[in-house]
Amino acid sequence: MKRRFIYSCLVIGATLITGCTKNFEKINTDPTKVGSDLIVPDFLMAQAQISFSNLGYGQLLYQSMWSQALASTYDYYGNGDKYIYRGSFDSYKANLWNNGYNASTLIDEMKNLIKGKAAYNNLDNCGTIMRMLILERITDTHGDIPFSQEGQAKSGVFTPVFDTQQSIYTSILDQLDKATAALDASKAGPTSDLFYAGNVAQWKKLGFSLMLRAAMRLTKVDAATAQKYAEKAYAGGTMASIADNAKVKADYTNGNGNADAGSLLVTDDFREVRWGKTLIDYMKTNSDPRISAIAEISAGTGKKANENEVAGISTTNLQIGMPNGYDLGGGTTDISKAPGYPGTSPADPAVDKDSPAPVGKYSRPKFAVYDDRNRYNYLLTYGETELLLAEASTRGWNTGVAATHFANALNADMLTLGQFGTTSVSATDIATYVGAHPLNPATALQQINMEYYVETATVFNFIETWCNWRRSGYPALTAVTYPNQFATSIPRRVPYPVTLPSTNGTNYTAAVGRLTGGDTFTARVYWDK
Amino acid sequence: MGVHRPWISKSLPLCKLALAGIVLINTQTVAHANPKLTNNLNFNINSNIAKISGKVVDEKGEPLVGVSIRVKGTTTGTQTDVNGNFSLDGDSKTVLIVSYIGFSTQEITVGARTSLTISMKSNATLNEVVVTALGIKKESKKLGYSVSTVNGNALDKAKESNVALSLEGRVAGLSISGASGGAGSSARILLRGVTSTSTTQGPLFVINGVPMDNTQRGQSGEWGGADYGDGISNINPDDIESMTVLKGQSASALYGTRATGGVILITTKSGKKNSGFGVEYNTNYQMDKVYDNTDFQKVYGQGENGLKPTTVAGALSSGNLAWGAKLDGSSVIQFDGQQHPYSATTDDYTKFYKTGRTFTNTVALTGGGESGAFRLSLSDMNNHAITPNSGLNRKTFNFNGSQTVIKNLDINVIANYIIDNEKNRSGLSDGPGNPNNVQFLAPNEAQSILAPGYDGTGHETSFTNDIYVTNPYFAAYKFINNTHRERLISSLSAKYSFTPWAYFQARVGYDNIHDSRVNIEPTGTAYVSGNGNMNTRTSQITEFNADVLAGAKHDLIKDFLNLDLSVGANIRKNTLSGTFINGSNFIIPYFYDLSNFPSRTSGNITRGPGNDLPGDQKTNSAYYTADFSIKEFLVLSTTGRYDSYSSIDPSLSKGIFTPSVSASFIFSDLTHINGLDFGKLRLSYAKTSNGATPYGNRVYYSIANTINGVNAATFSSTLPNLFLKPYTLEEYEVGTELKFLNDRLGLDVSYFSRKTKNEIISATLDNSAGYTSYYVPTGSIQNRGLEVEIHGTPFKTSTFSWTPSFNFTYIKNKTISTDATGGNIGLGTYRPLNATTAFVVGMSGPQIMANDYKRDAKGNIIFDATGNAETTGRIPVGSVTPKFYGGLNNDFNYKNFNLGFLIDYRYGNKILSATSYYSIFRGLNKMTLPGREGGVVGVGVTEAGTPNTVSVPAETYYQNLAKNVSALNALDGSFIKLRQVTFGYTIPKNILGTTPFNSITVSLVARNLWTIMKRSDNIDPESNFAPGINYAGIEGTSVPAVRTYGFNVNFKLKK
Repeated sequence: MKRRFIYSCLVIGATLITGCTKNFEKINTDPTKVGSDLIVPDFLMAQAQISFSNLGYGQLLYQSMWSQALASTYDYYGNGDKYIYRGSFDSYKANLWNNGYNASTLIDEMKNLIKGKAAYNNLDNCGTIMRMLILERITDTHGDIPFSQEGQAKSGVFTPVFDTQQSIYTSILDQLDKATAALDASKAGPTSDLFYAGNVAQWKKLGFSLMLRAAMRLTKVDAATAQKYAEKAYAGGTMASIADNAKVKADYTNGNGNADAGSLLVTDDFREVRWGKTLIDYMKTNSDPRISAIAEISAGTGKKANENEVAGISTTNLQIGMPNGYDLGGGTTDISKAPGYPGTSPADPAVDKDSPAPVGKYSRPKFAVYDDRNRYNYLLTYGETELLLAEASTRGWNTGVAATHFANALNADMLTLGQFGTTSVSATDIATYVGAHPLNPATALQQINMEYYVETATVFNFIETWCNWRRSGYPALTAVTYPNQFATSIPRRVPYPVTLPSTNGTNYTAAVGRLTGGDTFTARVYWDK
Repeated sequence: MGVHRPWISKSLPLCKLALAGIVLINTQTVAHANPKLTNNLNFNINSNIAKISGKVVDEKGEPLVGVSIRVKGTTTGTQTDVNGNFSLDGDSKTVLIVSYIGFSTQEITVGARTSLTISMKSNATLNEVVVTALGIKKESKKLGYSVSTVNGNALDKAKESNVALSLEGRVAGLSISGASGGAGSSARILLRGVTSTSTTQGPLFVINGVPMDNTQRGQSGEWGGADYGDGISNINPDDIESMTVLKGQSASALYGTRATGGVILITTKSGKKNSGFGVEYNTNYQMDKVYDNTDFQKVYGQGENGLKPTTVAGALSSGNLAWGAKLDGSSVIQFDGQQHPYSATTDDYTKFYKTGRTFTNTVALTGGGESGAFRLSLSDMNNHAITPNSGLNRKTFNFNGSQTVIKNLDINVIANYIIDNEKNRSGLSDGPGNPNNVQFLAPNEAQSILAPGYDGTGHETSFTNDIYVTNPYFAAYKFINNTHRERLISSLSAKYSFTPWAYFQARVGYDNIHDSRVNIEPTGTAYVSGNGNMNTRTSQITEFNADVLAGAKHDLIKDFLNLDLSVGANIRKNTLSGTFINGSNFIIPYFYDLSNFPSRTSGNITRGPGNDLPGDQKTNSAYYTADFSIKEFLVLSTTGRYDSYSSIDPSLSKGIFTPSVSASFIFSDLTHINGLDFGKLRLSYAKTSNGATPYGNRVYYSIANTINGVNAATFSSTLPNLFLKPYTLEEYEVGTELKFLNDRLGLDVSYFSRKTKNEIISATLDNSAGYTSYYVPTGSIQNRGLEVEIHGTPFKTSTFSWTPSFNFTYIKNKTISTDATGGNIGLGTYRPLNATTAFVVGMSGPQIMANDYKRDAKGNIIFDATGNAETTGRIPVGSVTPKFYGGLNNDFNYKNFNLGFLIDYRYGNKILSATSYYSIFRGLNKMTLPGREGGVVGVGVTEAGTPNTVSVPAETYYQNLAKNVSALNALDGSFIKLRQVTFGYTIPKNILGTTPFNSITVSLVARNLWTIMKRSDNIDPESNFAPGINYAGIEGTSVPAVRTYGFNVNFKLKK
């Protein structure tokens, strides 16, 4: 009895089990995601483009203020405004590193998916250009970085070596050379492309423009290579109009709101982030018509008015840039002690419990433009390209006529502001300004790079503003002094993420060993000698 | 030795008894010709020698099987049969010694009686039969492993909203920590230490034989969030008959995959056959009062640099800082633009919190007839939390019915339906919308000036210049964070008994949980631009179990070797699905509905590796348990289980077999030691395994939101592991159980050693490798420990008794290996972000990793040129799990009065305290008083070794100290607490007289009454914001600790 009984149980059990392991694979398949068989590889390109371009605090906390294009009295902007540890300092340091590698991983995976498939040739080469754009920003920020072994954990490389920036630049230029050559404008481009909607010809122009920019980075350390590739890029065909600008429009409705706007719309930021004195003073000196297109002061008065997220007053002569290095603490560094302090925006007696706004008379980035959550983020523009060509030709390289490029750039830079769709500079003003500012060979480098400064700042591409300042020395900036600074000169580099010693210690140590001045904000990357 | 104990040879295994009973009935034809006569217990004494027969029952009148009955002074004896009946030869002078483990032994003189009904009095501390794995009942004396049972009456008077918290201090080896998130918050339950590095540490809960889901529904992180409770927090304590803790792996091995964290078996109350109809009503009212653990300075007030604020902007920027001038009673401006006295306020943070109130009412109907019994209970728990505008309502319907449908076929149906509504779960840790920031006001800041938290336009009034520190009133009254849960835990089982010694059982269990959650950041929130945001999500979690079990007991060698065998198989299937719909910027302010957005985003709740929730999975298992008993004193048990997991690629592993063996040796049966009634040695070995997170072995791509109409996709930053295999846990255990002096003193000691192997570790990668984490099967954790339980009855008279019990657990945890490079496995951090917890090879885990003072060879603190203390790198400064812990419980009974109290203790753990950090950084901590005027010259040396002479302003010095020397925030977590006190009175029956009540018991109850000892300044040592192992021992900005007082009244109606 017992035995029969046990046997029957075993039989029942065995039947159940064999009957039920068959669907194990189906059960262990996530129903909400797709596998490599169904995914459209192009989709990863669009994700890389949006995440790489949409930075917010990733550029606002450091680079915007180191370059003195923006200034702020608010606490956590102290990292950029005053070179002091504020807020989640360690995570800010890793911002561009993590953002960049996350984006490059998307491209790496896209390339893995299409490897060996000829039909994806254009996508693959656009992927290379995108990847170079991404990795250049990381190396420009930190110096030596994982490049040749980057993104290969899937193949078992868990601790990639750090390549020297010199070798990275050699490789970037070489890869761009090959990728641009391999692009075939007669065939279809990427189907999910936020830059050019799949226009391969434009990708080719981006490839050459990026080659030009990378070449020009080397002007201080390797003029020969710089010249070789600048000329090659020019010959190949760089961007030809503002339609070629590499930019990504944010999409607030679908969860990809503009991150800069999101940051600036935080009440504290809105109240206390202002255009920098260095930038606005320079533009004023030149009677730049862009001032009223980019700046405004609060339309009302008092604290509340400076917190209301509405458009302000853009009248040019009311615009004042705020100096860096000040706070609202009431001490010696209080903004009220700043030279030329315009006074508070007094409390509005009509508003209950209002109080004065200490920085209310300084110009903030124009609400309609920069706080638009659907705004474009710019990565590389036609105007910048023309400026780089102007500089190359000023240096005597075979890249066309410097004055023409410069005039093209001024024209393009002002028109580019119109691309935002929320501001513009009138055609008359543009013509007047371009006419009044011809390139003077004696001051060409200054004129070119100061315009580069204005242009990159006004399209909110502050990382480029900072890079070009380091390369060109323009504008001439004076470091702020403030108690307990982590650097007493303007930072020229971002230290590596603090997690690296534990995640990739050996290679990190080797890279730091190659840095003169150690893993600090003031050490210099290879091309910044 | 040498003492002849003849009755032992007559003790027979249960099934043998049953057989014996049948044989007896069949042979006693004279006396038992008519079965009805047997029931009537009629027999005659014809002469001096007669057949004596009768029945042995327990206190409830239920027959007891296998009771030993022997004739005093002889070797004659027998045992009761399946119906509790017995029969033997004797005369009127015969004295019977009736003994049964779990009951007091009785001597009965037969006298002239013609029938005997012997009622046994249970001996509460000796439970003869315990429920073991799979619901198989076994004699406790035969177990080769450690099991502890807690009776429901220890849990249902002074209640916790999460019943798991009531177990704290009651069971050796069991460590419970609650998240400080208000009513219904989760519990972190560790059995025998930190078993593994994975976050699913908790034991498996099995309710009436069916595993139930205990998924944690979401916890706070260092950046904030709320605790959304766990599965066990839904269970109504009034429905619990008992909870049995299977500590060791041998005990729980039959549960295979999820047994690595141990098993807690819950038996709910049920009706009893032939009990008639009964009504029981229980009402309980408890109040929670905040108790203030802070001891902040009250000398200096709000301000910075030693100055009072002079403007509104200054008041705002120092809103959270007490670096001002000495309190002098003057008037200063505050953030509200009004003047307030600059003196220590009595209107402190404790006034912000309300008196919590919890009212619980349970009515239970029971009934039982010849062939069936049931219990139906309805319960309502209504809680108003101490956090204003927050609370929990839980309704529970519980039905437990059993019926004999045909002869030998019993059907049992259990349904537990729970409706759980939680209003405004409190924000925890350092997130925005967290009202608990009220705990950090400067000594002169009255909390009431923050009220009502919004201005005339409905916009939040910020009290600091950090808008992410939400005004506590605004956070409490305007933020919405509601959850709703409906849950049905049901099971249906049928058991067919072929013979009294063999049965077949089939069972289906289904736990179905439906959750919905709404979070609203209201219109006017300072840090939200626009009109506010709304997030909603719904999810459904199910666990389905179907199992069959066949059991039989048989003597392989008559009266010598008995086999008790059960064989079974189980299919388990877990599913999870859920969606979210979010919107931002309400079109019409203050109207909070999903329709009120220009557009909405929606999608699936993510699951699988790296997410809170697992995905669908299935496990097929087959198992056996076999106990070989040699006579009654030696039992060898073995179990085996074969699991096959859907989450493991079948080409890598078809499945895994995990065995256990244990032995129980009752040496007191072989040898006599004076005073020792019972002595047992236990030995066991077990191996269990655990599967992998579903979906972990493949690359998936997720469709991302379109960007201006362009399609996009992404994928996980966790590298899939293509080589996943189950990991294993091995454990050895040795123990002894001793009972002395008629069970007036009992001792249970266990030593265990357990180690995991091939634990799948999520190792961290740098982003530059392309992924942020990957799996390696290299983890190993070892726990060794000692568990001691002592119980006794030092005093016992007819009217008074004192029964204390004490338990002690010592755990030595060690991380044996982590990833391939032996790196630390990072766990959690606290909001100041300057210290973390991690598993560190060679040390007990999780360790707090912090920066300590840098010292020279003589131990002097080294200061830098600016006069600030230098620090070491991140070094381990202590484990967050206690070295030893336990409790002391005392019960006093005097006539109708009962007094019970529980003291529990914990020693040797550290707490990473954000409260400590903030109190130093903000100038609230008393340690920040020296040097307020004139600056601080740190006592120590410079880099060059000369004494430090640099004076640093106090605010700068202490703020740098808090930021840099994070080891200062690793506090000693040891404590002794008076955990629970109950004082009860049962109204005597003679007083109740003609009232409809059979009994009324009134109890005064209290919990967390008194912290007898603690070493952590300014915090409750149990404060904790999340239950996950990654946040174990980390605290900050959570709901303060409370004392609970109340009463419980239990009415039983007459039948």
